[in-house]
Amino acid sequence: MTRSFLSIRAVRKTFGAFVAVHDVTIEVPRGEFLTFLGPSGSGKSTTLYAIAGFQDPTSGDVLLEDKSLLAVPSHKRNIGMVFQRYTLFPNLSVAENVAFPLSVRRRPDAEVKRKVADMLALVRLENFADRHPGALSGGQQQRVALARALAYDPPILLMDEPLSALDKKLRQEIQAEIRRIHRETGVTILYVTHDQEEALHLSDRIALFKEGRIEQIGTGEDLYVRPASEFVAGFIGNSNFLPAEHLETAAGAATVRLADGSIVTGLTAAEAFSKGQKVRLMVRPEALSLAPGPASAALAVDIVDTAFFGDRRRVLARTASGDEIDVRPTSDTIDPAGAAAGSGQRIYFDPASAFLFPA
Amino acid sequence: MQGSSLRRGSIAGLTAGSGSALPALLLVGLFFIVPVVALLLRSVTDPEPGLQNYAALFGSGTYVRVFLNTFLVAAVVTAVTILVAFPVAWMLAIMPPAYGSIVFGIIILSMWTNLLTRTYAWMVLLQRTGVINRTLMGLGIIQEPLPLINNLAGVTIGMVYIMLPFMILPLVGTLRAIDPMTLRAAALCGASPFQAFRRILLPLSLPGIAAGGLMVFVMSLGYFVTPALLGGTSNMMLAEMIAQTVQSLLNWGLGSAAAFVLLVITMALYALQLRLVGARRTGGGL
Repeated sequence: MTRSFLSIRAVRKTFGAFVAVHDVTIEVPRGEFLTFLGPSGSGKSTTLYAIAGFQDPTSGDVLLEDKSLLAVPSHKRNIGMVFQRYTLFPNLSVAENVAFPLSVRRRPDAEVKRKVADMLALVRLENFADRHPGALSGGQQQRVALARALAYDPPILLMDEPLSALDKKLRQEIQAEIRRIHRETGVTILYVTHDQEEALHLSDRIALFKEGRIEQIGTGEDLYVRPASEFVAGFIGNSNFLPAEHLETAAGAATVRLADGSIVTGLTAAEAFSKGQKVRLMVRPEALSLAPGPASAALAVDIVDTAFFGDRRRVLARTASGDEIDVRPTSDTIDPAGAAAGSGQRIYFDPASAFLFPA
Repeated sequence: MQGSSLRRGSIAGLTAGSGSALPALLLVGLFFIVPVVALLLRSVTDPEPGLQNYAALFGSGTYVRVFLNTFLVAAVVTAVTILVAFPVAWMLAIMPPAYGSIVFGIIILSMWTNLLTRTYAWMVLLQRTGVINRTLMGLGIIQEPLPLINNLAGVTIGMVYIMLPFMILPLVGTLRAIDPMTLRAAALCGASPFQAFRRILLPLSLPGIAAGGLMVFVMSLGYFVTPALLGGTSNMMLAEMIAQTVQSLLNWGLGSAAAFVLLVITMALYALQLRLVGARRTGGGL
């Protein structure tokens, strides 16, 4: 199937002079779990609301199976949605809440009954059918909201920070539920969150938003291993950034001089830099090690602090120019002998795992 | 307030708070309980002891018709007030607070304006040669002036206007407690605006409608000025009848009996409201 399922095409939303969303374009294949990740105010929720029909985009189009949704009012879009706040109907029981979308569609009673039972089984709340939402915990309420949103087999499920009101343990529990439900139902999910771990845990692909634009879209691994910008590198996972000066780029490998005067070569440049341009070198804490590997670059540092966590070690190092570096060698690179605090030590990394971004 | 705290606290309450409550109790006793008892006594003693005043009240077709008309007017006024107040209250509930307080101010201001002034203003607007009729005729929408005064229409228009704040205020409180996201959720579930209103918004706002509606109904039952000025002789209300019986016919006994019946009905409705509100507070738990 080459035809696209959900297309968000050049969607733009302005509020007066403020541009909340700048011409966002995304193609979503059927069955994908796509997460809109970004800090608050980055346009991710606004984009989701354009799909839900709560806010018409200023320009651009949203197409589902090649038909524009924009002229369709919310209640005819046939889209499921779970909200940040608990939006269950307080005057209806759990079963009546789940039955609501079916009964407004005038489905036959027998079908409604069977579907409600299926949905409550899916979210494992069979024994709560007759309770009222006020008598449920936050996590249970969001599971009912999920059952209600899936009861009418919508082609798309939108989720707007559904776990942000829950505590950490409950969040992880429901994340696992959401993964299982996505697997079992095959529904296409568009999920909004500002939590990068949640995004990495749940998604097939992540669209990282910044100031109304998509900074990068790809799998969690793409964003982690091949960040397109310093913003992406900083938002997904942990990163060390070291100021440097670009000396030259030959055959795709860049050479820079760090603030302490040391030269690092064989780096991946995000774009073409001119000679002498100020750049920032990014290297992940776990790409650094205390023992030299094949083809590693070395940095002269003082080890400020070190802590041992069994499966990993965490070391805080400082360069001669005063830049602090977070080092988290993975188990296979732990070198107990080199872990002691002190001056005149060296840390190592593979230049291919480091990136250069414009300063 | 004082009465209820005494009732709940029983003997302990009597000893604890009764000292400071005493002046208020005296005031209530002197100016409310005593006249009511006097009223009751008069209705069964004037002109002679017995229940003949009540017999006359319920036996005569004229008086029964006045009772029925009173209920009819109160019911129509309550229904129209709910219909008009609901959209206003909803707008107030979802409005940004800054604008909301301006609209609130306008509503409260109308309550502070003298009742007679407001009612005379309606007379000017509604009469045969009034602003409304002349405008409509000038625009060619009607040929003959509409009968808007001295009938049920006039009473309804005038009283709905006066009752609106009493409906809007409790309703806004109830509607503000409803999360607007709930209605968005209903829309995405496939509910048309009407379905979302009927199945979600209306049930959730019922407590406010009940509280405001009962208040408006009870106030309408005993209303005097507006029905007297805007109503007609054919649909006289109870308060007018009492005034006429006492002032023109000097029949204090019959007037007292009618007033006492009105008081009993009002108190019965108030008790019903208390029970409904109480049941909701203890029962729902939402």
